[in-house]
Order: sequence, then structure tokens, then C-alpha cells
Amino acid sequence: MSNKKPNNNSFQMQVFKTISITILAFGAITMIIPFIWSVITSLKSAENIFAHSAFWIQFPPDFSAYKQIWERIPLLKYAGNTLKVASIVTIGQLITSSLAGYAFARLKFPGRDKLFFVYIATMMVPGMVLLIPNFIVMKNLGAINTHWALILASVGSAFGTFLMRQFFLTFPSELEDAAKLDGCNPFMIYWHILLPNSKPILTTLGLMAFQGIWNDFQWPLIVLNSASKRTLQLGLSYLMSEYYTDWGLLMAGSVLTLLPIILLFFAVQKYFVQSFKFTGLKG
Amino acid sequence: MVNDRKKTELPASNYSKLNRRREAIWGYLFISPNFLIILAFTVIPVFLSLYISLTDWNILGTPNFIWIDNYKAIFSDPLAKETFFNTIYFTVLSVPINVFLTLILAVFLNQKIRGITFFRTAYYLPVISASVAVSLMFMWILANNGLLNQMLGSLGVEPIRWLTSPKIALNSVIGVTIWKGLGLNMIIFLAALQDIPQELTEAAAIDGANRIQQFFKITVPLISPVIFFVTITGVIGSFQSFDLVYNMTKGGPGHATSVIGYYIWKQAFDYMNMGYGAALAYIVFAVILILTLVQWVIRKRWVYSED
Repeated sequence: MSNKKPNNNSFQMQVFKTISITILAFGAITMIIPFIWSVITSLKSAENIFAHSAFWIQFPPDFSAYKQIWERIPLLKYAGNTLKVASIVTIGQLITSSLAGYAFARLKFPGRDKLFFVYIATMMVPGMVLLIPNFIVMKNLGAINTHWALILASVGSAFGTFLMRQFFLTFPSELEDAAKLDGCNPFMIYWHILLPNSKPILTTLGLMAFQGIWNDFQWPLIVLNSASKRTLQLGLSYLMSEYYTDWGLLMAGSVLTLLPIILLFFAVQKYFVQSFKFTGLKG
Repeated sequence: MVNDRKKTELPASNYSKLNRRREAIWGYLFISPNFLIILAFTVIPVFLSLYISLTDWNILGTPNFIWIDNYKAIFSDPLAKETFFNTIYFTVLSVPINVFLTLILAVFLNQKIRGITFFRTAYYLPVISASVAVSLMFMWILANNGLLNQMLGSLGVEPIRWLTSPKIALNSVIGVTIWKGLGLNMIIFLAALQDIPQELTEAAAIDGANRIQQFFKITVPLISPVIFFVTITGVIGSFQSFDLVYNMTKGGPGHATSVIGYYIWKQAFDYMNMGYGAALAYIVFAVILILTLVQWVIRKRWVYSED
């Protein structure tokens, strides 16, 4: 009797594991097939895409879609625009959020807690409500159709500030107190003690900002109108409206715009996963 | 005596007063870059948006104050009605399916099995992928002679017009939305599951509870705040969906896939009806605000009940 139970349990375990792996594998394949299918399509010659069945793979592959795309749209220019905006926003957000987060966590000033409540409250405002008024604010600032419209709107972050504050609150204060006695001012403490010790969280926050701007679509669509200002996502969307049946070309464009983020993901997967968990804190 | 005390303490309190003042100045200095951006692009716009929603502004002319005419117009706009209906359908279908699937996947992933890194990575890929590229990939998969119809065709199924049939298109967009979002909630659930003390499930197992009983009697009650949170954020997210609709269907065929996030953009930035668009957005804002507040209140109650 006492022998039977663990056996029964381990049998149950085995069944459960087998079911888990089967369903997980089925799901994982569903996740990956669209990507593989895009790559396969992008490596077919235009005349072969419709001539053969979907499961047919061209060998040797034809790279002409990857050559053509540079002639159809200024991809390098778009990549440069995106990289410029994403880098400025990332660095800006890291600086402004860590400074504000430090002040909210460690410095005392009148109205601090009320201001922080305002920060928390702004996190509840859905981005959709801000599109129209921000368009008008940008119009009045003369920032429409410039990259300033993308940079200014994102260079400060309530969520980033909240995250940095929570992190600094858990940071032991002994080092800080010692530095204070040595006559360090708050900026020196921030620069020499807190920042060097918050690299992981800064990396995660930076990644979230960078990926957010890289993948952003609606706001650039609203504020940019000249072709030379477009970001990658905008460029890809316009490519689709112009060559909407040229699937080889469109898949090549998708693969090229996805590649940098996917490579970044594999390089620093740990921080990406952390950023997913932070997204869970957002609401 | 009162004087005495003042005399002895004055220098010290003067000193700390100066220090406190200095600290306050540093504090304001540190928050100001971030605060000014939040003020200019979040706080002021919330009020500006309310004002715009009470005008007939169309960018070109000067705005006239028309009180609640925009809000009245929404209630007699058949397209707005269709859009609201589509949005509710979208939400009611996509959120529960997402929550159900991600919870199951997280439970499966929360054990020692082979290839776990591969599985996780596979589910993350759609999350980090930009919505425009995802739209393009699925437009090709769901095309009349695309991968899905060819796969079904080999089973003898007639081609289905996934994106061009008014009856099916919205479901297709919902499907892609679910596909793209699985990895995110899965991770949130996985983190919650890993927080459950193992002794609890082990004790239940010794008492003879099987996996399914363990799941419903221990796991679900313990992570119910997370389930609730994921549901609310899912609802909020689905109210704002735009990218996939814009790129895959442009709200069509007809208005079959016109959801509120798309309709607001259409009114404000295609027809330039800024006032009308702002009024639509404000209605959604009110609904989201109520949902968020409900979530906060319930979350707090849950935290208390845990003590």
C-alpha cells in the first residue's frame, strides 16, 4: 500500500509531463512557423511564390528580394532615423527617470508624496487619450514632422521613475550616509554610489524604452508625414501599401526590420524577460 | 524657560533648516526634467483633451465651443455603435482565451522538463516583434492562397477568406492578437506560480490530491489576484488596439474590424474631426479609469486578506 502511492504519483507525473510537452511543443511550433514561413517566402523568386505550393522551398535560395528592397525604400535611412530617436529616448529616459526616482526615494522636499501620487495617477492614463492633445501640443511647438515629436513625448517616463524609486528604496543607505558625512552632495551620491550599483535595472529599463520606440507605430504615423523622416515601422507599412502583392519583398522587409530586435533579444534575453515582468507592474 | 530652550536649539535647527532647504532644492532639481515632460505631455493633455472634446475643432478652423454635442452625436452615430460592438466582441473573445491559454502554458512550463529554454524563447518571439511586421506575416499566412488555406486545402477544406470576409475578419484579427500576446502573460503567470511555496502543493499531493485538484484548490485561489490583474490589463489593452487593425484590414471589409482604437484615429487623423475623436477617446478613458480603480480597490482587499 505504502509502496503503491509514490508509484501511482510518479506515473501521474509522467502522464502530466508528456501532455505538457506535447502541448507546449505544439504551441511553440505555432509561434515559430510564421517567422520561418516569412524567411522561406523571402528567399523565393517572385515567379515561384505563387507557382508552387506553400510547402515548396526554393533551393538554392534567391536573394533578389533582399537586393530589391534597398532600391524600393531608403531602408538604411529609416534604420538611421529609428536608431537615432531610440538612442536619444533611451538615454534621456534613463537619466530623467533615475534622477527623479532617486529624489522620490531618498530626498525630502515639500509636496514630494503628493507629486509622486500624480506620477502614479498619470500611469493610469491610456496612451490613446493623449494622441489628439499631444498632436496639438506638438503642432504648437512646431515639432510636427520632425523627430522632436517622437523624442519629446517619450524622454520622460512616469513608469521609469516609479521603477527607479522602488529600486532605490531597497538600496541600503549606509554607503550614502558615509558619503554624506564626507560632504558629498546629492548629485555626487547619485553619480558615484547609486548609478554604478543599478546597472541591471538601468539595462532593463533602457531595453524597454529602446524596444518601445523601435516597435512604435501609431505615434510616428500621426506626427511624421514626409518620407525622409520615416522610422522603420512606418517605412514597412508604406512599403506594404505600395507593393501589397509582392510577398517576397514584403517578407524580406519584415525579416530585416525584425532582425535587430531579435538579435538583441538573444544577446540579453535575461533583461528582456525581466522587462516582461515589469510590464506586469504597470497597471 | 521657553526662551532658554530656543536659545540652545536655535543654531542647530538653523543649520538643519539650511540643510533641509538644500536637500529640497536638489530634490526639485532632480525631478524637474522628468516632471516637465510628464506635465507637458500627460497631465496637461488630459485636460486639453476634455476641452477639445467639447469643441468642433478640425485643425483648420478656429474651435467653437459646442458643449456636449459631440457626445450626443456619438450616441446617434451608427458607425460608433458598430465600433463599440466590435470592440466588446474583440475584448470578450480575446481576453478570456488569452488568460486561459497563458495560465495553462505557465503551469506546464513550471516544472522540470527538457527543452524549457526553447519553449520559453519561442513564446517570447512574437511579443518582442513589431506589430507591422507581424501584420505583414499574417496577411500572407491568411491570404486566399496563403499558408493556412493551403494547409487546410490538403485536408480537403475549401479556401477561407480570413481577412476579406466580413464574418471572419474580426476573428482573424483577434487570433493574431492572441498569438502575439501569449508570451507576455505567460511570464507574469510563471512568476506568480514560482512564488507559491512548494510545501503547499506537496502537502496536498501527500493528502492524495491529484494534479487537477491541486490546480483548482491551491494554485488558482493563490494566484487569483494575478488572474484578475491580467484580465483587467488585457481589457484595457484591447480597448486600445490599433496597429494590427490598421495594417491588416484598415477596419474593413466594410466596418467589420473597426474597433474603437482604430475609429478614434480615423475620426481624428483621417477625417480631421479632432473634437469628435477626443470625445470618443474620453468615453473610453472613463471606462478604463473605472476598471483601473476597481482593480486597485480589489487588489488592496486581496493584499489585506492575505495577512
